[in-house]
Amino acid sequence: MTPNSDERLASIIRALTEVILPQLPPEASLAQEQLHLSVGHLQILRAQFDAIPAYEREELDDAITIGKALKTGVSGGVLTQQAVAGIGAAIAAADGSHVRGQCQAIHDAIDALVRAVAVDGDIAGKAELRKIILELEHVRAQKDRRWFAPFGFDTL
Amino acid sequence: MNMQMDMESVNRRILDRRRANRSLPPYRAALSSEITDMLSGFFATARPGATISAVRRVGGGASKEQFFFTLTDGGHDESYLLRMDPRLAITETDREREFILLQAMQGIVPVPEAVWVDPNAEFFPQPAAIMKVVSGVTKPSSAGIKVSGLGTWLGPDLRAKLRDQFMDYLVTIHKFNWRTAQLRGFEIPDADPQQAARWSYNYWHELWHVDDGEARPIVSLTHQWLADNMPACDELVMIHGDYRTGNYLFDEASGRITALLDWEMARIGDFHEDLAWVLMQVFGTFEGSIFRASDLFEREEFIRIYEQRSGRTVNRKTLHYYDVMSSWKCFIITAANGMAAARAQHNHQDVLLTFLAATNVMFADDLVRLLSDNSWQGDAA
Repeated sequence: MTPNSDERLASIIRALTEVILPQLPPEASLAQEQLHLSVGHLQILRAQFDAIPAYEREELDDAITIGKALKTGVSGGVLTQQAVAGIGAAIAAADGSHVRGQCQAIHDAIDALVRAVAVDGDIAGKAELRKIILELEHVRAQKDRRWFAPFGFDTL
Repeated sequence: MNMQMDMESVNRRILDRRRANRSLPPYRAALSSEITDMLSGFFATARPGATISAVRRVGGGASKEQFFFTLTDGGHDESYLLRMDPRLAITETDREREFILLQAMQGIVPVPEAVWVDPNAEFFPQPAAIMKVVSGVTKPSSAGIKVSGLGTWLGPDLRAKLRDQFMDYLVTIHKFNWRTAQLRGFEIPDADPQQAARWSYNYWHELWHVDDGEARPIVSLTHQWLADNMPACDELVMIHGDYRTGNYLFDEASGRITALLDWEMARIGDFHEDLAWVLMQVFGTFEGSIFRASDLFEREEFIRIYEQRSGRTVNRKTLHYYDVMSSWKCFIITAANGMAAARAQHNHQDVLLTFLAATNVMFADDLVRLLSDNSWQGDAA
């Protein structure tokens, strides 16, 4: 593909930094701030561009992993069982054709399970829910922090 | 009482306004020339004969549109700050409430003098307040450019000069006699011992839903944990709500704090809520393995000195609850509130809000760490 995505982003960044930024008057503080932030965003996007599909696919895979663990590990009454079935349905529909939407659907189903377990989950089910979420979200959070580390906020 | 709907009236109005504003057209940053016209219109009523000049935008900050300007009346120049809401802010608050509290705090702790307020956007496109300009900086000139004062590095010299003032002003705020101050609109969460925590929880939880926060398992678990573990509040105090380095001005040469800023999240509540906010890792610094809250105090040192100077005992279980709530609030602010404003194009700096949203993963990890941590239980007795 010519021009490729990297070349297009690089040309935009150069135009913003070398042509537009020098023309901004010093008193245009908001414009200067937002231009710097825009360039920063674009530089990070450029660095991550090729890896985005794999990152989002991994997010979906991790949602399926936590969903399956909860589906088999959490027990309780009717509401809990219905919510567990909801997770199963969301996982079954996650064929990777729309990774962000399918990942969110699984997270929404897990949210429903957390609320259901609070109502009629049994003691073991409540403990297992907490254990699974904390363990697997710890793993997911480390990946997310590394992904967003280029923004410069994190002390990883 | 409907426990899930129970919250301070001002927060109910803020949520209703936020819902209503979602359908409005995009918002754009105001131009200095437009602000000059608005100020001229306002002062034609508030101070007839006065003229406006030197309008310039204030840089930094993630929430409000702010402008310095000069008001000339009878040959005398005075410098003021206009503080105006965007259509949707990353933290949705009430200008009149902040205005009332700033006036009440005059002479008690250093605050900007709040002079005028337009709470219902009669003169400005959004609610606004005007206050006198106070000299000072929010970070040392050598600190480099950082967004929104997060993690400001003060260094040993300024740290030594600022820390006692920072602590003493916090203790003074918590000692403020709100019962005799008759602060219009400040309600008292004393219906039952959990009401202080419940008001905070209900407001932020509903705000999450108003802004269509995207579910994430650790956040779902936290919603439930906070609902299930609300602590009793033994003593209601005035809390600042956003007390940290970055939210006060200081004179760089002397290290004297000249003004405490950003009172918009202040309310009557549990002092542990303020302590936990101060102790948030994101507002502090790490020097090797040493963490300093607001780059001023190590965690245990902060708690110990607060107890000494306030005469209060910090309940570790309650503090843990508010530690969790603080990270949860920050997750909601960055992942839901800021992103809702950016998606709707209802803010003057969408690109900053999407940039700041990258911090939400740190708060998600904070929640995992805090909910996995039972070490506070050893100190609870």
